[in-house]
Amino acid sequence: MGDRLERLAVSSARIPFRLKVALVWVVIFAFLGFFFWVAKFDTDWMLDNFTFIAKGLQYTIYIALGGIAIAIVLALLGALARISSNPIAFGISGFYISFFRGTPLIVQMFLIYLALPQIGTNLHVQYPELFSRQFEDSLVLDPAVAGTLALGLNYGAYMTEIFRAGIQSVAAGQGEAADALGMTYRQKMRRVVLPQAFRVIIPPTGNEFIAMMKDTALVSFLGVSIQHAEVFRRAGLVGKADFKNLEALVLAAALYWGLTIIFTFFQRRLETRVSRGYVRTEPLRTAELPSEELSDLPPHGKGGGG
Amino acid sequence: MRKSSAVLSALAVIVLGIAGCGSDDSSSGGQAASGTVCADTNASGDLLADICDAGEIRVSTDPAYPPQSSLNKDTGDYEGFDIDVATEIADRLGVDISWETPSWDVLTAGSWNGRWDMSVGSMTPTNDRQKVLDFTQPYYYTPAVVVVNEANTSVQDLTTDLDGASIGVCSACTYEQFLNKDLDIKGYSFDYVIDDADVHGYDTDTTALQDLALGDGTRLDAVITSLTTAQGFIDSGKPVKIVGDPVFYEPLSAAFDKSSPMDDTSLVDAVDGIVGDMHQDGTLTELSKKWYDGTDLTVQQ
Amino acid sequence: MSDREVIIRVENLHKRFGRLEVVKGVDIELHKGEVVVIFGRSGSGKSTVLRCINFLDDPTRGTIEVAGVRLTGGFRTRRKREQIRKLRLHVGMVFQQFNLFPHMTALDNVRVAPVCAGLKDNKAHAIELLDRVGLADKANEHPIRLSGGQQQRVAIARALAMRPEAMLFDEPTSALDPELIGEVLAVMKSLATDLHMPMIVVTHEMGFAREVSDRMLFFHEGVVWEEAPPEKIFEATEKPETRKFLDAVL
Repeated sequence: MGDRLERLAVSSARIPFRLKVALVWVVIFAFLGFFFWVAKFDTDWMLDNFTFIAKGLQYTIYIALGGIAIAIVLALLGALARISSNPIAFGISGFYISFFRGTPLIVQMFLIYLALPQIGTNLHVQYPELFSRQFEDSLVLDPAVAGTLALGLNYGAYMTEIFRAGIQSVAAGQGEAADALGMTYRQKMRRVVLPQAFRVIIPPTGNEFIAMMKDTALVSFLGVSIQHAEVFRRAGLVGKADFKNLEALVLAAALYWGLTIIFTFFQRRLETRVSRGYVRTEPLRTAELPSEELSDLPPHGKGGGG
Repeated sequence: MRKSSAVLSALAVIVLGIAGCGSDDSSSGGQAASGTVCADTNASGDLLADICDAGEIRVSTDPAYPPQSSLNKDTGDYEGFDIDVATEIADRLGVDISWETPSWDVLTAGSWNGRWDMSVGSMTPTNDRQKVLDFTQPYYYTPAVVVVNEANTSVQDLTTDLDGASIGVCSACTYEQFLNKDLDIKGYSFDYVIDDADVHGYDTDTTALQDLALGDGTRLDAVITSLTTAQGFIDSGKPVKIVGDPVFYEPLSAAFDKSSPMDDTSLVDAVDGIVGDMHQDGTLTELSKKWYDGTDLTVQQ
Repeated sequence: MSDREVIIRVENLHKRFGRLEVVKGVDIELHKGEVVVIFGRSGSGKSTVLRCINFLDDPTRGTIEVAGVRLTGGFRTRRKREQIRKLRLHVGMVFQQFNLFPHMTALDNVRVAPVCAGLKDNKAHAIELLDRVGLADKANEHPIRLSGGQQQRVAIARALAMRPEAMLFDEPTSALDPELIGEVLAVMKSLATDLHMPMIVVTHEMGFAREVSDRMLFFHEGVVWEEAPPEKIFEATEKPETRKFLDAVL
């Protein structure tokens, strides 16, 4: 058998690698198609309901965008706090990271959705002068908002590591040069360190966004209304209405998969683009020029000093 | 950096936009039609007054329950018996209706925090729930039936054949409490014929029914659910069947949050009165016959 | 020389990193218009002395005086940090690794600090400085497109942009290929002769030292072992260690 494989490998050596991989994918999809057919999914129903479920994509993306925006802000603050010498900042960020990495995302979503209003009510009842009715109301969050907030807090905790590593990857000399020039901390970070850190931070952040798009499905457990229903919620609603849960889930899975493939494609292009400035595409100018440039300098002799 | 701040602001706007969309479109509070509760009431400072002023009542529903409530994807509206009953109640109150869709356990736990005003969701007023919710008189009664896989032949006598079997029910439902023999509803008593059931809780009945349809004893031996849900499932062509007589009948009422920020007493009374009227003038019977295949479930058995 | 105005004064400077004391009591005075060269073995603490002057490293003991402002080491409160920042405005630094900002053009590199400090007419001044170092035509290039010598010259222009009263050079040519060293030294020399810029230069370039410096300090065992004008250092040193080092280097 080993001998046969050897001969096969040798004879197929001329076929390009990519073609072989494509062939493997064709076989995989053939199997998938076979399973599909054998499982006897109600494909008519799936075609009928595809559009309805697909309409949830815009909310999936909105929620993910909102979540990643919050996460980026928190990750930046968290990273700066992790490398700071301020004990308050360091302590708070440590707690934040530990809690939001240590508890499940779905639990966090429910806490924000259910516990916050409870706290608001109790505070209002106990201390009505300090905590007004408006304060109490403001803690009663719409399920989509609660879910987005939870996503932001959760992912922010994980992304703090990414941001911290990115900031620390900027050579120490950069910060020293900025310091030596008399820049303030804020100026140094804004103009020198963070712009360079972002080069390192952007690609993994793109990956986090792609992951978050899948996690938006959890928001449906908070009972999102039909107006903001994302893909998984919609799949659940029609699946239950017509007793076609399985078909609905297959559609949802396909949509998430497609979304991921598309965004991964753009993510790769972003990565190559961002690393462009740091990869030398032209050879460095050599040293035959210095003497010419030297002669451009104003004439000099040993002048007054001592 | 400026470009990044612009991106961040744009994203913040999106988040706030979603938040803004959260509040449902409230209709203008116009004058309620005469003969309606809002036109005639002199309530003030409480939940009923608030609803009348807003011209809208927010009702919760769980659209996973045909024919009680499900989503019509073509129209984007909810439809079902519960939907129609709630709409009629809103009409008689003299307000418009808007829908929220919380999960069932959030609903039955009370503490709605003012997110919605009323639940018309085929909820049984058990004693436990009455601690946190206020109920109207029942608007209908559902028989709870035992459902088994089509291929099953072993379950004939419900008082003996299901003892120790693995039975699927929806969590936090009366069917689960029935199996756990702690179904307490004031004024009703139940005959717990099933002993030592191996209870499997699901998020909704239909998920349990799906597991049952996989095969006799594959995941479940039986499911207990409402007759209407079971019938709907069977009608859609799934391989399950109802066995024996209903194991109990449960009353189902509209519910309100006891811990609502505004006093709900007058609202509960008003809706209770409306439900009574709807029984008397035959509206409920008509709706029941429409959704439940000509059966009138609104009469106590 | 002692009656010339003192721009930088280092008094009894000690610096310890953990258990290791690297600077064991150093006194230096830099006068107006003076060029001082510090030389000695690698790792002898020369760069540390420089870095303590602008508080990139924090002095363990001793006082630093720059343009009349006296500061000591110690815990940095917000106020202290601001004092240090203000001190740094008076003295510019050029690093061994250049430390140009790679995401900015040469012009922006030179301009960014004055812009941050709220100074005016930065663009014109920056171009003038780039011209002074012979790189006006490279104003819109990014550092990655420049040779090491060109980068270091931009770095010098960048430090000059803040109009410092003195300049610190920390082994400015040690990271350069030999053929690029000359252009940088030439610029440094012109700073001395044309601008009369007071400078402290840590370097191994003895030719430059002999030609340009007013005083040379041999740094050994954490202290200034010998201090003298270049002629004396090269012809008639007093200490044998100095001679030994020079013999090894020259």
